Amino acid sequence: MTYNVNGKTYSIDCDPDMPLLWAIRDVVGLTGTKYGCGIEICRACTVWIDGSPEKSCEKKAREGVGVRITTVEGLANDPVGQKLQQAFIDVQAPQCGYCQSGMLMVATKLVRSKPKPTDADIDAAIGNICACGTYPRVRQAIKKATGQ
Amino acid sequence: MTDTATHPDDHAISRRAVLGGGLGVLATFVLHPNRAGAAPGRATSASGATSAAALGAAATGGTVSGWVRVNADNTVTIAFGGAEMGQGIMTGLAQGVAEELMVDWSQVRTEAAPPAQSYVTGGSFGVRRNLGAMRLAGAQALDVLRRAAAAKWKVDPASLTVKRGVFTNPATGAKLKFSQVAAAASALTPAASPPLTPQSAFRILGKTAKRVDLPSKVDGSATFGIDVRVPDMVYAAIKHCPTIGGSLAATPAVPAGAIAVVPLANAVAVVADTTWAAFKAANALSVSWSIPSAASKVSSASMLATQQALMASGTAGSPVAEQVGDAVGAYGSSAQQLEATYQVPYLPHVCMEVLNCTAHVTADSAEVWVPTQAPAWVVGTVQTVTGLPASAITVHPTLLGGGLGRKIEQDYVLQAVTVAKAVGRPVKLTWQREEDMGHDQYRPSGLVRVRLGLGGNKKVAAYQSRIVTPSPLAQRGWIGPTGNDNVDGAVELPYTFGSRLVEYVRDPATIPVGFWRSVGESINCFAVESAMDEAAALAGKDPLTFRRMHLPAGTRARKVLDTAAAQIGWTTAPPAGRARGIALATGFGSLAAMIVEISQPTAGTMAVHRVACAVDVGFAVNPGQVVSQLEGGIIQGISSAQWGRTTFSSGRASSRNFSNTRLLKMRETPVITVKVIQSGMENLGGIGEVGVPPMAPALANAWAALTGTRLRTLPLFPSAGGMGD
Ligand code: FES
Ligand code: FES
Repeated sequence: MTYNVNGKTYSIDCDPDMPLLWAIRDVVGLTGTKYGCGIEICRACTVWIDGSPEKSCEKKAREGVGVRITTVEGLANDPVGQKLQQAFIDVQAPQCGYCQSGMLMVATKLVRSKPKPTDADIDAAIGNICACGTYPRVRQAIKKATGQ
Repeated sequence: MTDTATHPDDHAISRRAVLGGGLGVLATFVLHPNRAGAAPGRATSASGATSAAALGAAATGGTVSGWVRVNADNTVTIAFGGAEMGQGIMTGLAQGVAEELMVDWSQVRTEAAPPAQSYVTGGSFGVRRNLGAMRLAGAQALDVLRRAAAAKWKVDPASLTVKRGVFTNPATGAKLKFSQVAAAASALTPAASPPLTPQSAFRILGKTAKRVDLPSKVDGSATFGIDVRVPDMVYAAIKHCPTIGGSLAATPAVPAGAIAVVPLANAVAVVADTTWAAFKAANALSVSWSIPSAASKVSSASMLATQQALMASGTAGSPVAEQVGDAVGAYGSSAQQLEATYQVPYLPHVCMEVLNCTAHVTADSAEVWVPTQAPAWVVGTVQTVTGLPASAITVHPTLLGGGLGRKIEQDYVLQAVTVAKAVGRPVKLTWQREEDMGHDQYRPSGLVRVRLGLGGNKKVAAYQSRIVTPSPLAQRGWIGPTGNDNVDGAVELPYTFGSRLVEYVRDPATIPVGFWRSVGESINCFAVESAMDEAAALAGKDPLTFRRMHLPAGTRARKVLDTAAAQIGWTTAPPAGRARGIALATGFGSLAAMIVEISQPTAGTMAVHRVACAVDVGFAVNPGQVVSQLEGGIIQGISSAQWGRTTFSSGRASSRNFSNTRLLKMRETPVITVKVIQSGMENLGGIGEVGVPPMAPALANAWAALTGTRLRTLPLFPSAGGMGD
């Protein structure tokens, strides 16, 4: 199978039924995308497929073929993504940091579709679980990155 | 990140350390602060301290170290021996070194110290216990550098000025960088106790410093344990006996798609060429377990009945944890009496990063990469499995995707090393989320009966607590039956009660229990602070007023309460449909007051709108980080108070995954304001835990104010405890 991840081509060999999450982590070897639950709830595993956020634990490895996959390692190629990464640092959002890749993938997509997201937009978009409780600062980071 | 130039951080260094670089390899100058005789970290169990940490220090001999290295580019690298799990400890301790070493924060790098110089991180002790040592390390390093520079110039060391890692000779205006004198300095013996910077002159301590670990946490480059990749590595999954207390009856055959099956005491590990293949094979494997009949009968109902019986029969032989005056007599003769029994459940830790460990064992060496709160204990665990001398064992502590007390434990390390030894190749063991939640070492369940006797003046003349819980320490055989880890939050309360009696009755339950963020406080604070509200109602007093009646003017506790009350405007009624609740927690050297404002959007559900927190941490090493930690503690406290629990039936834990374990989400998160009070360096307190315990009583108190219904059992809303959308 051939993948396009963050603009690079990878030729990978794995069970096509393997969740895309594990194909990205173990086979492609990009570990920024995280396993949190494996059952499509926590969103730590969020990547973009053709620019749209998807839980990679619910996709199969074969669904990674013929699409553009973006992971947190490639987020800085997106100007909005880069802005959010900086805002997350500026407001010191991450605690343990484990959920933050997924947070950033979702938050960046939100800002790309709503350049000035309201609190309600943020509440609706960020369904990610963060056991460390970074929500107030993630909200603050999104506001900061969007000049609010 | 493209602009790390604006930040002090160089995460490449910490990654290199994680991935196998060692301190000393690049060293131009290495200083071991303990060499001069400092023995920091040997703190014995401070009263009110969580025993997890106190014990950890005892068990490791309390070896604590900061190492300082001056690099060729005149940056300094500070070795870090704790566990970075998001609490900013790496940054806090580095601040201490940088302050004394007279370098700017932008010149500081960090990397992991070897396990022998590491310490157990828990009980909010990380910065508190080690800051002094790290400051001393910085001061000693400066001392030898200064003398080396002075020797070059043949002047009095005291005459030199120093700024940004550069000495100036005021007589000539000549300059020498640290890096130019580091080699000479490393030959000198540092002064045992060089002068430390007075607090009034602090440049770095007490100022918000950007965390050194964050750039790597927004670009995917941070290496958590689960991210470790080693050449030729295979992957293992674990399948535990679903019944706690059961064991493996027979080793199953290696299933299709797997490389090996390794028998373990209460589990079997399946090894494959990817994590997913291992998970899949483990899930499909049919295993025969031998299950003692007693183990299969363990249920929440039977354990509650045992606790109730112990509560009723308890006193004879129960250790008394605190006794002041005659609380039994005073209670009997008090004008008004409150007796209430509070119940708390077993709780899973739920770190976002599941348990995992990577190990490589050969005939004469072992190497382990692991997210651990106790690197030094890992060495012992490896020795148990391999019999190798400590000198043949290398441990690489990684970043932790949450620790919360769970990653002090050694079960997952033992498994990974056993599997690695069996297969003879590097192995990464990853627990599936279901195994992680279903085979935790849970926060103990418990019953706490509080009696408050009020005198004619409406003040508490008698306070009694009887606590029935299993003891994490006793279960491990680390202490006798007294179980002193379970009375925190019930003893040494700041209130001026007329008399006190706190008794502990150990519940011999066999559910594995461990150290959960804030440990005993999380149990007892719920009971005591709920009872204080109930007694206030009995006395006809406002809950804040009633607490203040028992807190003399000028006390730290009164100040945090007043500060929180002022923040939320306690004396002004909340908006219609809302009510407030208050609670106070003291522990880990800090004090926190919480006031919550809630409503009931639909019958039987709670929305939390606001949390006003005031916290006295003595001295805030990194004030921004104090606020973050409190926010995190508050949010975890709200989740666990409303929904957190593990129940047991037929010896099996109910917790499986987020489908039945609920954590707060963004849209449910209240507006949180945190006011940090700094009462003085001598009161330096921990910040990781104190935010958690007051949340449950504050919410229960608010619920009683809103609805008239007093909830004395946690979680408050057990039937709402799942997620999935
Ligand atoms: S791992 Fe995919 S949603 Fe949790
Ligand atoms: S930062 Fe730790 S889980 Fe979100």
